[in-house]
Amino acid sequence: MSKSTTSVLPAVIVFMPWLALVGAMLWGKSRPGFAKIVYVGSTVATLLAILTLYPRAQGGVASTQKLVGIAPRVSLAFRVDTVGFYFALLLAVLWLLCAIYSLGYIHGRETRYYCFLSLNLSFCLGVALSANMFTLFIFYELMTLATYPLIIHEETEEARRAGLKYLIYSISAGAVILLGLILQFYYGGTLSFLGHGTLNLSQVGKPVLLTIFSIYMLGFGVKACVMPLHGWVPDAHPAAPAPASALLSGVILKVGIFGIIRVVFEVFGIELLHTLGVSLPMLIVASFTIIVGSLFAITQDNLKRRLAYSSVAQVSYIVLGLFLLSPDGATGGLLHIAHHAFMKGCLFLCAGIIIHETGKKNVSEMDGIGSRIPITMAAFTVAALGMMGIPLTCGFITKWFLGVGSIQAHRPYFIAVLLVSSLLNAVYFLPVVYVAFFKGRSPGEELRLSKRETKRSMLVPVIITGCMVIALGVFVTVKGFPYSLVEVVVKAFF
Amino acid sequence: MSFSSQYPILLEAVPLAFAALCPIVGMWKRKLCFPFSVAGVLATNFFIFSLWGKVTSTNTVTYALGGWRPPFGIQIRIDYVGLFIASIIGAVGLLVLIYSWRYVSHELEEEKCTYYYTLYLLLFASMLGFTVTGDIFNMFVFMEIFSIASYALVGITGQRRAVRAALKYLLMGATSSIIVLLAIAFLYGTVGSLNMEDIAGRLQVGGYTSVAGVALVLFLIGFAVKAALFPVHVWLPDAHSIAPSPISAVLSALVIKMGVLGILRIFFTVYTPGFADLSGTWNALTQAVAWCAAISIVLASIMAIIQRDFKVMIAYSSIAHIGYILLGVCMLTDRGLTGGLYNILAHALGKSCFFLVAGAIIYKHGFRRITSLRGLGRSMPVTAGAFAVASLSIVGLPPSAGFIAKWYILWGCLQKHQYAFVVMVLLGSLLAAVYCFRVVYYMFFVGPYGDGIDEAPATMFVPAASLAAGTLFFGIFATLILPSLGSAARALLAG
Amino acid sequence: MNFNRIAHNLNYVSSVVLFLLGLYAVAVKPNLVKKIMGLNIMETSVFLFMVSIGMVGSGNAPVVTEGVKPATMVNPIPQALILTGIVVAVSTTAVALSLCIKIHEHYGTLNASEILGTGGPF
Repeated sequence: MSKSTTSVLPAVIVFMPWLALVGAMLWGKSRPGFAKIVYVGSTVATLLAILTLYPRAQGGVASTQKLVGIAPRVSLAFRVDTVGFYFALLLAVLWLLCAIYSLGYIHGRETRYYCFLSLNLSFCLGVALSANMFTLFIFYELMTLATYPLIIHEETEEARRAGLKYLIYSISAGAVILLGLILQFYYGGTLSFLGHGTLNLSQVGKPVLLTIFSIYMLGFGVKACVMPLHGWVPDAHPAAPAPASALLSGVILKVGIFGIIRVVFEVFGIELLHTLGVSLPMLIVASFTIIVGSLFAITQDNLKRRLAYSSVAQVSYIVLGLFLLSPDGATGGLLHIAHHAFMKGCLFLCAGIIIHETGKKNVSEMDGIGSRIPITMAAFTVAALGMMGIPLTCGFITKWFLGVGSIQAHRPYFIAVLLVSSLLNAVYFLPVVYVAFFKGRSPGEELRLSKRETKRSMLVPVIITGCMVIALGVFVTVKGFPYSLVEVVVKAFF
Repeated sequence: MSFSSQYPILLEAVPLAFAALCPIVGMWKRKLCFPFSVAGVLATNFFIFSLWGKVTSTNTVTYALGGWRPPFGIQIRIDYVGLFIASIIGAVGLLVLIYSWRYVSHELEEEKCTYYYTLYLLLFASMLGFTVTGDIFNMFVFMEIFSIASYALVGITGQRRAVRAALKYLLMGATSSIIVLLAIAFLYGTVGSLNMEDIAGRLQVGGYTSVAGVALVLFLIGFAVKAALFPVHVWLPDAHSIAPSPISAVLSALVIKMGVLGILRIFFTVYTPGFADLSGTWNALTQAVAWCAAISIVLASIMAIIQRDFKVMIAYSSIAHIGYILLGVCMLTDRGLTGGLYNILAHALGKSCFFLVAGAIIYKHGFRRITSLRGLGRSMPVTAGAFAVASLSIVGLPPSAGFIAKWYILWGCLQKHQYAFVVMVLLGSLLAAVYCFRVVYYMFFVGPYGDGIDEAPATMFVPAASLAAGTLFFGIFATLILPSLGSAARALLAG
Repeated sequence: MNFNRIAHNLNYVSSVVLFLLGLYAVAVKPNLVKKIMGLNIMETSVFLFMVSIGMVGSGNAPVVTEGVKPATMVNPIPQALILTGIVVAVSTTAVALSLCIKIHEHYGTLNASEILGTGGPF
């Protein structure tokens, strides 16, 4: 990270989605149609504003903006570094797709839904662009609260129970992170991200460092759904409306991962983690989550629940990549943030269309739906292949880097985990594809090709995410695509 | 002698004079009582906030009453902490008074309105007097005035449960007052002075006697009852939940803080922590109080969770927050003390907002059960929104004043390596999340939602909303007061 | 136990005994009026104690007159203080008794355990 410039832009970006709230206040009741345009428009504006940061982020230049000092050595501040920009860009793109999708999907209580959707984007961006652990924590907590209304949007008994479970898990996790934060502050003296670890082994001592590390992992692990902290995930995803589940899986779980990234790179630093020897235990936990999560996914009949368990497993790929503590491993992990976001986003949006058009939630009922909604199921198939890691999809790129990374880290046996996981992915995704396209093709009443497949606002995001799965797997090195950014990040930290 | 040099005495004399005149105004025209009291409180606020410049530049403003120099005469001594708390009293007192207007005319019989405003002004004036006095007996007198005013205000409706709660409060409150008086007598018997700084000086010179030690313990017990610290908190849930809502707000936000302030004065001004002879007793006592405070946090939060009545729940939460404040204070570190002091502000804003919201709901709908709050987020958006925002502060989530306070209290606990307290504070905030968000949940996420907006009158929701906004403001712009509060805390610790 | 010492500090001892008697009444007596009497006993104990500490052996009244040195006067401050204290005590008692009247109107009894329904001390 070379020179630092002061700019209000990061702060402006973080609060830009609030435009949607203004829209809701002015037109939410009187002109709901126009208000929706404002909601989507605010997301577009945010995306464009983030893109203007691209030249700075690409060069690895951080721009810092101190907003308010809270206490001595603690302040609310934003900055843009490459990893933050990468995450922010991903957030805005996925959010836009989901906002467009929501236009077709959400009926009833729209104002509340869009307001919290936009607030959530704002808070997630706050996490991505935070300049210190304190700011990160504040926006993390706000994001936790703002997600709740999205989960219980449908206000069914199931949704309420899932929402409660989510709150119990997340708020406890918040308290745990706060504990870690104050310990870090007390022992490390600073919470700022300086581009290297700020905790010092000789000053603090190993037991305390290990305590801080475990506390952070425990806290962020809940959002990153590392087993055994994943309990809320399989309940929350099916309960939430499809675009919200897509966001939950696609990015909100990654916010937890982002916290872990900051802890790994900015709080401890790679070398210190090597010395502490936390790599292997974390790798084992991640591998356990990958395998067991996939096994759970196989047993689920409810499609969204199956996808949720799949997310539990897939997010741990990122954890695995990070804790290989090798450059290629980290590359794989960081790439998977975007890759998984598009793949799982696509899958959840497809699941939403299935529910919306056919009313079917369980895999066992989906015989022959491929003929009713062919484009959707084609996209589903592409994303599912991506999950399995078939070449020419982005999932393959992840696995390639993770594999190389584990050799680089002298832990080649983790390749076996990747292979087993691919196999398990095939076991739980291919039946869906099979059932949809090849089973029970006696549609008669199902096959109504004259009818439009679904609303255009829902189909377009599905197609885009589906194409992205391929594009990210083929045009890996295109400038502005994840790899070009991740390369800069990894270079900076290793 | 310029007029502005008289501000220290005016800030307690003016509201007292208004309180004395209020019945006469009421006899003449009952309707005038409210504007008359507002004028009094506004004038007092002017004096309080004008003193800020002077106190920040000179640290302490003293004023000798009647020109009698201390230790012979009564001294008014306004330090940073005193003015900080006086400002909270002034601001919250004004907002709650404005709120009272519609509430009181709705809830009380007309002839009682005069009493209400008189007692309110008396309460207001005596709390200010308590805060700024430098004389320990003067402090006792003001304590008695605000205690009597609050006993009367709790029972002002004259309803069955109200008078019972008032008498229960009175019996415990009066006992604690007498304990404090006994302590003053013991202390006077050994050192022969009533001026706090003078006592401190004489204790240093004359050495610490066993009588002074007994007095310290008695002070602590007496003020702990006023502050409703576990295990002497039993009067609080009844009194605070049954009182008219604006009075509950003042009681929870300000009156129990007077007990805390009493403990602060005794701990740091009268018996200074640097005093070597005391160190053994000192550590034992602060540890004991800290444990009581930590138990308060956990126990009161659990009690709050099992309540069905909205106001009783809020009342229990106050006990927990007194626990936070005293825990921070008893860490005897600058950070902990800063956190405790900041929580006085955070809790005053948040909790008075809670009670004002409860009052607005009772005013509109008359129900108090938590489960009957469903759908209020739609019909009373400002009121319910204020509750949601204030609950961030009560739980201690960022970006609210409560979070800053908790942050500093935790920091203080770490400075003393008291990890058990760290865990208890965090546990307390988890429990607080349960009882606060349960209410938010019923308000916003459980139907049936009414169609139209049916909001409380503006004089009621504006104070509640501004208090809620205050919690956010002091959460984000904490640096406005934190550095000077920190140095005030260090000054207190230095004795 | 040094009786001499107790005799020397008789004012301390007697005031504490009186104080505890009052506290006993407040805590244990079921009748609300008796509780209030207990409060008054406690207050009185403190007042007596305060007067006693201002005592100067065979001292004069604290009035400035020719030929009377300040050292031989009784300390006037405690007396001034307890005057204030008595005023405070009277007003507390007045509020308490008026609440008692209200309670009697509502409940028809002054028995604390019947009113509170708990039988607890307060």
